Amino acid sequence: MTMLRAERVTLGYGKRPVVHDVSLDITEGGVGLIGESGSGKTTLARAFLGLLTPMSGNIWYGDKTLKKADLRAFRKDVQPVFQAEALDPRMRIGSSIAEALPRGDRARVRELLEQVGLDPDLAARRPHQLSGGQRQRVVIARALAVGPGLLILDEPTSALDVTVQAKILDLLAGLDTERLLITHNLAVVERLCRTSHVLFAGRIVESGPTKDLLAKPAHPYTKALRDAVPKLGGAPPEARGRTEAVPAATGCPYRLRCPIAVPECEQAPALRDAGGGRQVACHRAGDVT
Amino acid sequence: MIEVRDLRVRYGTRVVADVPVLDVGEGECVAIVGESGSGKSTTLLSLLGLTPDAEISGQIRVCGLDVRTAPPRRLREIRGARAALVMQSPQAALSPATRLGVLMRRALRLHGREATEQIMSEAMEAVLLDPALLRRYPHEVSGGQAQRFAIALAIALGAEVILADEPTSALDVTVQAEVVGVLRRLRAERGLALLLVSHDLALVSTIADRVLVMKDGVVVESGAAAEVLAAPSHPYTRELLEALP
Repeated sequence: MTMLRAERVTLGYGKRPVVHDVSLDITEGGVGLIGESGSGKTTLARAFLGLLTPMSGNIWYGDKTLKKADLRAFRKDVQPVFQAEALDPRMRIGSSIAEALPRGDRARVRELLEQVGLDPDLAARRPHQLSGGQRQRVVIARALAVGPGLLILDEPTSALDVTVQAKILDLLAGLDTERLLITHNLAVVERLCRTSHVLFAGRIVESGPTKDLLAKPAHPYTKALRDAVPKLGGAPPEARGRTEAVPAATGCPYRLRCPIAVPECEQAPALRDAGGGRQVACHRAGDVT
Repeated sequence: MIEVRDLRVRYGTRVVADVPVLDVGEGECVAIVGESGSGKSTTLLSLLGLTPDAEISGQIRVCGLDVRTAPPRRLREIRGARAALVMQSPQAALSPATRLGVLMRRALRLHGREATEQIMSEAMEAVLLDPALLRRYPHEVSGGQAQRFAIALAIALGAEVILADEPTSALDVTVQAEVVGVLRRLRAERGLALLLVSHDLALVSTIADRVLVMKDGVVVESGAAAEVLAAPSHPYTRELLEALP
């Protein structure tokens, strides 16, 4: 079942587009958006939350576009989870969560805190009296308060220590809500998302089942990302191509960084079907080894 | 390059770092790993006398100088020059209204060095940066370029050891790979020593010769990186490794 769908969406700030003509479905089993800083992943998440109106294209919620959908129902159904710094420092934890509940139901606040593995007595504390991991759990509890069907998670664990991150990932994996996860951390995507989309310079360059994508990347950028992740006891991470060349304004946006670019890459490659539920936008997809 | 014995850093009665032995030799890379609050950054800063409010005991020798007893003038000769500091967020450390070239020239003069175009260009090339970037302002370069510029500053000043606190954790993985590549090359080509503070065990396992694992201010395990990370003997090291996603 598709909960939300982006259909040929172009997004930007002012007149400058930063996400170009992106189509993707948020389906069951978790969807990951992977990319580096500036790739447009957070911008796309904002559009899925209805916080940014597309310059062109549509975001579909069921059979209606977000412009026409019942936003009250939408906001209950689709909840954001940002980094834990999003809590009001002056508010007690319990009040922060109760704000999202009808009549500030305090019994429900305790249930929610328990659901995310926190002591319900923490409701009386303020954010600064909690650890980073506890605060992130509170943010998740608050998102769950309205009983959403989908969580949109933007780098939910990137500010946390590894042991704390591991526990938050367990918590997220055990929830029965669907999720769109935005991250630069491939290991986190592998754990939580059945399907992934790799964004580069505001364009999807590769999509498919997460496991296949990481096992055998078909786009040189996906491969560069995967190979740059240090592995325990492995070889030092390898930089491929020129990692700091700015995205090309015409043709394939990755071509100035790409180690296998050819003159043909001056023509923009279309996102095409590569079999096995995968799509890739690269003229040299067959030559990525 | 760095020799530490029985280092204890205290704030009031609270011991925030207790490090019995820490040695970094020429061309060596030693990493301190641990989570937030483990005392790893405090340890690193104390080695250059940058924890002014703390009470420090033990012996700290950096580039042959006794850091605790050296007069400020002597300390300035090594701090930021022979022993350079690279922090997590280079763009925050670089004055935003000053071009990179001016920053580098100023740093060289501050340490009484010659600031010729050649010295500056060579330092940029050593970290694989185009010397033309010296004309740019900090906000006009990427995070990875700014971090490599911070390393170029160290090279221009003749650093023998770099003390780096999470130097790549604010960077994208592909850019991190490039910065790590530059540091490895400098070690191999110039015998640069590296003391690295990091929470990223996987990264540390790929570049460090030796590793110290810290928890709540205490070194719980130390040894050859390959051994400690392949067969950890302390339960906390095991917990850290198991938590890797």
